[in-house]
Amino acid sequence: MTEVESSASQNGADGLGPSADEHVGVADAPKGASTKVKSRRAKQRQRWWWWLLMAGAALAVIVSSSSKPPTEGVGEERLFYLASQLKCVQCVGESVAGSAAPIAVQFRSQIREQMGKGLTNDEILDYFASRYDDVLLTPPSRGIGSLVWVLPVVVIGGCALGLGLAIRRWSETSGQARVMTDEDESLVAEALADDD
Amino acid sequence: MNRALGLTGLIIGFGGSIVAIFMLIGALRTRRADLAKMGRAYSLVVLAGAVLAVVAMQLALAQRDYTILYVAQNGSSTTPFLFNVAAMWSALEGSILLWGIILAGYITVVAHKVRKRMDDPLVIWALIVMFAVSIFFFGLMLTAANPFVANSPAPGFDGPGPNPLLQNHVLMAFHPPMLYLGYVGFTVPFAFAIAALITGRVGEGWLIETRRWTLFAWGFLTAGIILGAWWSYEVLGWGGYWGWDPVENASLLPWLTGTAYIHSVMVQERRGMLRVWNLSLLCATFSLTILGTFLTRSGVVQSVHAFTAGSVGPLLLGFFALIVAVSVGLIGWRGDQLRSVGRIDSAVSREGAFLANNLVFAALAFVVMLGTVFPLIVEAVAGDALSVGPPYFNRMTMPLGLTLLFLMAIAPVLPWRKASGELLRERLWWPAWFGIGSLALSVVLGARGIAALLAFTIGGFAAGSAFRQIALATRRQGWRGLVGRANGGMVVHLGTIMIGVALAASMSFMSQGEFTLARGETAHIGGHTVRYVDSHTVEYNNRISLIARIKVDDKVVYEPRLNRFRASGQTVPTPSVKAGPRSDIMLSITSAPSEDDPSLGLRVIVWPMVTWIWVGGLVMLFGTVLAIFPGKRRNPLQAVSEPTPMELEHSR
Repeated sequence: MTEVESSASQNGADGLGPSADEHVGVADAPKGASTKVKSRRAKQRQRWWWWLLMAGAALAVIVSSSSKPPTEGVGEERLFYLASQLKCVQCVGESVAGSAAPIAVQFRSQIREQMGKGLTNDEILDYFASRYDDVLLTPPSRGIGSLVWVLPVVVIGGCALGLGLAIRRWSETSGQARVMTDEDESLVAEALADDD
Repeated sequence: MNRALGLTGLIIGFGGSIVAIFMLIGALRTRRADLAKMGRAYSLVVLAGAVLAVVAMQLALAQRDYTILYVAQNGSSTTPFLFNVAAMWSALEGSILLWGIILAGYITVVAHKVRKRMDDPLVIWALIVMFAVSIFFFGLMLTAANPFVANSPAPGFDGPGPNPLLQNHVLMAFHPPMLYLGYVGFTVPFAFAIAALITGRVGEGWLIETRRWTLFAWGFLTAGIILGAWWSYEVLGWGGYWGWDPVENASLLPWLTGTAYIHSVMVQERRGMLRVWNLSLLCATFSLTILGTFLTRSGVVQSVHAFTAGSVGPLLLGFFALIVAVSVGLIGWRGDQLRSVGRIDSAVSREGAFLANNLVFAALAFVVMLGTVFPLIVEAVAGDALSVGPPYFNRMTMPLGLTLLFLMAIAPVLPWRKASGELLRERLWWPAWFGIGSLALSVVLGARGIAALLAFTIGGFAAGSAFRQIALATRRQGWRGLVGRANGGMVVHLGTIMIGVALAASMSFMSQGEFTLARGETAHIGGHTVRYVDSHTVEYNNRISLIARIKVDDKVVYEPRLNRFRASGQTVPTPSVKAGPRSDIMLSITSAPSEDDPSLGLRVIVWPMVTWIWVGGLVMLFGTVLAIFPGKRRNPLQAVSEPTPMELEHSR
């Protein structure tokens, strides 16, 4: 147990569990810091570049390992990726990848055939889209179907923006004391009168 | 006989609810507590009516009483006992009956709990709301969804039995009751919320009163959804555990808003904020259970689950509209009293995190809802047919899910009101290393792909935060550090993280293949060898099963089946799944060997980490139970937030 940790558990912030965490909430510094005994490790934690390094390294590893759906070859992985993009037209709520129906089996063998001809993923999906109505499980990005893509972005973005502005406004006014209005006073009087 | 018994039960339930409401309203007007007590006692009458109806239905199913249409459609002399019992909820009318008895049960328990407070208008109004909901459901059963419609069967008639998919796995006996315990359970907090609005006592009292009810309902809803996923994994096999099917979405929607509510309610309890928002979330949760029932039971959205096309659609939709109108109207009416007293000081605070959490949950609910009803809207408006399928839902929900995981990492260590960067860096140090460690481990084990690695890293980070909170709480309080809302909640978080990580792994790294194998032939997939040994048929009472014996890795024998049900003639495969801590292997027969072609069609799927979804579900439930237990009472004089500047100056 290092000095930091023992001092941290004194400060009530850390030692007290979730309800304890609520105790501190202090803006500036945990009391542990004020004891002026800081180990090197505690200083490390406070260095922003340590955090930057950590996040940067993690992101680099993650981004460099991008794996895309297979785009060529005749492997089963590509077959099932394509099949999962197509609706089993005679089933209810199943994809071509997830159905045992004869039509799905037939679709899969057609996909195999197309993959063998060296067509791209888009070409294969277009092939089915041109032959069957409502066969793609991904809604189109053109026409009325594009709303299903656009609406969430607009609505969620709008809500996030609104929430952000609201929080900013609240935090600006939070320091001011609230003044009791006549209306409030009459409410209190009413409530007191009710009690009698 | 059964029919008369059942109808009597329904009428008793319906009439009992009406009488109860009259008495309770009378009690409110005349301020007579004895009337209120009598009204309360009618909960037992309603329960008796519901029990009578259920007993009649079970008797009819057990006796294969085909003079009842429901039994003629869903019963069969060949159905085994358990599935015959479960046939009650395998179609529309019976599932409304299940809803009815569960609702009557909840009303009875609530009425018992509040027995000493029958002079309190809040309690009386809450009971009135619950009885009103019960009037609707019993009324529904007496009209559009009557489970006891008469039928005159031809001599020697035998029914088809429940849908073969529904009699394929024992989970079917448990998943619907669990789900309904969750759905219906939200009636209780909803009733108290409406009562609070009507009586004008919109403070925090009703919240605290319904806290456990909400958690209880939420726990059952969670269990019901996970059991449903398990069922579909074991039975549908190929489709996996989640297909973004409208029925699945319908059960997810109230879960999303309910989960948002469980979190944001803490902001109101602590800081007196978000009153309108919390009321809206709760009303939304309850109305979404009704909307979900409408979507799935009216046949409006076709899906594998929508086994029935009923005439109940307009009634359910009308009830949904009524709930929304009443909720919105009441919230608007009480608007002036719902103004918050508190203010948010900083976005980087516990309440700020809860707000972000609510935004993401609301966004998820919006996306799921939009994707579910969008094809209907397009069809109605433009007449075009288009599908919104799993590729859409996966792409839209993935970033939102990752955001939730990230919030789960940060939020638990945030203090109320305001946090400094220094404090965050101190508290998040070890959790962050946990995330890095999780990333390193995943990479070493060969995991690739941005989404999966992000999920593993942030999942590790979030798990680190949860462990930190649990460790601190147990170090200080011993075993008590595990119970109570905040601590139990961390256990729930751990379960959720497990599920999140398992979902990411199973979706990213699943490998599958389809093979046609002659006897003795071997196929290779995902590092495993699969050899077709032999097959034979077995005749059962209700079905003929083809059983293939497949040896995987020359060790374990799998026995997938292909069942042909006698009553309906349908062929349904039963996949064989063997679970393991690293991955499950699932085999499913796609085509049976015949005279002409003796080879076997076989689908093989290697699913990584799926077991951890179910384990995570168990952990979530365990955490919910811990959260329901009363935690250590906080001394009301204890400060829980940043001291005001004034006090600070004094103390120096």
